[in-house]
Amino acid sequence: MSTASAGSSAASPDRFAAPPQPGTLGSTLAVAGFQIGRLLSRQRLLLAGLGAIFPAAVMLAVRRTAPAGLDRDLAVTMIFALVPEAVCMLGLLVTMCPAVADELERGTWVHVAVRPRGRRSLLLGTYLAAVAWTSTVAILAAALAVLAAGVARPLPLVVLFAGLVVLSTLGRAALFAVPAVVLPKRALVASVAVALTVEYLAGFIPAVVNQLTVSLRLRSLLVEWMGWRRQLPVEMRLLVDPAPAWVQAAAVVVLAVVLLVAAVKILESRQFPPSVEI
Amino acid sequence: MIDVIDLVKHYRASDGSVVRAVDGVSLAVAAGEMVGLLGANGAGKTTTLRVLATLLKPTSGTARVAGCDVQADPLGARRHLGFVSATTGVPDRLSAREIMRSYGRLHGMEERPLVRRIDELVRALGLAAFADRPAGRLSSGQRQRVSLARALVHDPPALVLDEPTNALDVVGARDLLHLLDGLRGDGRAILLSTHRLHEIERRCDRFVIIHGGRVVAQGTPAEVLGPHGSLEEAFFAAIGSGERGACAGAGEASP
Repeated sequence: MSTASAGSSAASPDRFAAPPQPGTLGSTLAVAGFQIGRLLSRQRLLLAGLGAIFPAAVMLAVRRTAPAGLDRDLAVTMIFALVPEAVCMLGLLVTMCPAVADELERGTWVHVAVRPRGRRSLLLGTYLAAVAWTSTVAILAAALAVLAAGVARPLPLVVLFAGLVVLSTLGRAALFAVPAVVLPKRALVASVAVALTVEYLAGFIPAVVNQLTVSLRLRSLLVEWMGWRRQLPVEMRLLVDPAPAWVQAAAVVVLAVVLLVAAVKILESRQFPPSVEI
Repeated sequence: MIDVIDLVKHYRASDGSVVRAVDGVSLAVAAGEMVGLLGANGAGKTTTLRVLATLLKPTSGTARVAGCDVQADPLGARRHLGFVSATTGVPDRLSAREIMRSYGRLHGMEERPLVRRIDELVRALGLAAFADRPAGRLSSGQRQRVSLARALVHDPPALVLDEPTNALDVVGARDLLHLLDGLRGDGRAILLSTHRLHEIERRCDRFVIIHGGRVVAQGTPAEVLGPHGSLEEAFFAAIGSGERGACAGAGEASP
């Protein structure tokens, strides 16, 4: 056992004068790297593999029922429902929702929160890790599903879905960040409720409220990029936004920024009494 | 270095009642001083330390670390503070070096100074034998030493430890306290809470005894022990008095 000095130089009164000044970016990237390291466990990789294969398996099963080959538009609609919607939602529920709850349960919350920008970095770093992880899995899932569907010219479709996946994860990870900080112990349930009520109820109401949803933006982008707008029935036109693609993408980014800023503000003011930690 | 002045922290319980976890605590820890914060479970030790660590906001009163008010300048307070808790929260899959690196980067430390600092801590805290082993394969004492290294990675002048020896056996607790002696020698201010009185009886420069959220006694070992034969006897005499200032013979009563 050593009682040697743990200081960086000999003891003197002003030796502690200048502790490091952390920036948000560096510490956020540190947390993101840490969280991705956590996600590289065997269990999480298995789950990711299942998530990547599942849409392709569905497409193969459907393709067997259509010996003449799947209609391209039908295949695209199915992959849209399976990947930017289902796989992204499920991936983010696993990676983003427990952002704070995991730290409370593991007893690491106090050690992160006592760092200068610990709370902010925890949330933003987890957000980056969740987006990177879920996007990777979902883009792989989209590529496999497009190949399994056997449609002509698969590469442009994979690129289209990659764009939708990235926007889906950017927007919805920010959406799930709010219940993650407001109700950390019930974040999963709260996020499912938010997904159902905001994305799949409000998102389909043809009124101002659906402008605030990611699902409207993704549908509108799909319609725009597939060139379906003119052939849409009148009643279906109510469910998409006529603005150009860059407006849809910008709307998702703005929504994500607003939600993240709100979530960071909430988390920075949260106080968890010792009894909350398990 | 650490100043707490008339600190009050109230919680609202689930039944709507107000819990006075800390009710006017004042204490100070100077550089190069180790102060023992003593009290039974629920006395208010953890709440006091968590206010200092900026994890909880005070209802009223002042808490400062290296002159930085925890409410007005929480980032400054955090930059100057190292915090160790009873639950180490050490990730099982990472080694001591990886843990220190992650937390050092959280403090904005650059790679070269960080690697140098990690090497210093590995040497100073006796981590060399297990610094590259996943923390899940370490003993409780080794994990707590890793937790201490994590708290020291940014070389803070003030160190707050909340019952760090709770999960440790006698040997682990002695080793940890021995390390704290060395850290005090560095000029660090150390505030240590525990209810294992015999462990710190001869180690602390001063003691603060709290009970029911209030300071019931504080002073040097000689002042707190007074006519009592041991710290334990002095402690029971102090908390037995119940009320602030009513602990004659058990050190200086709080204002």
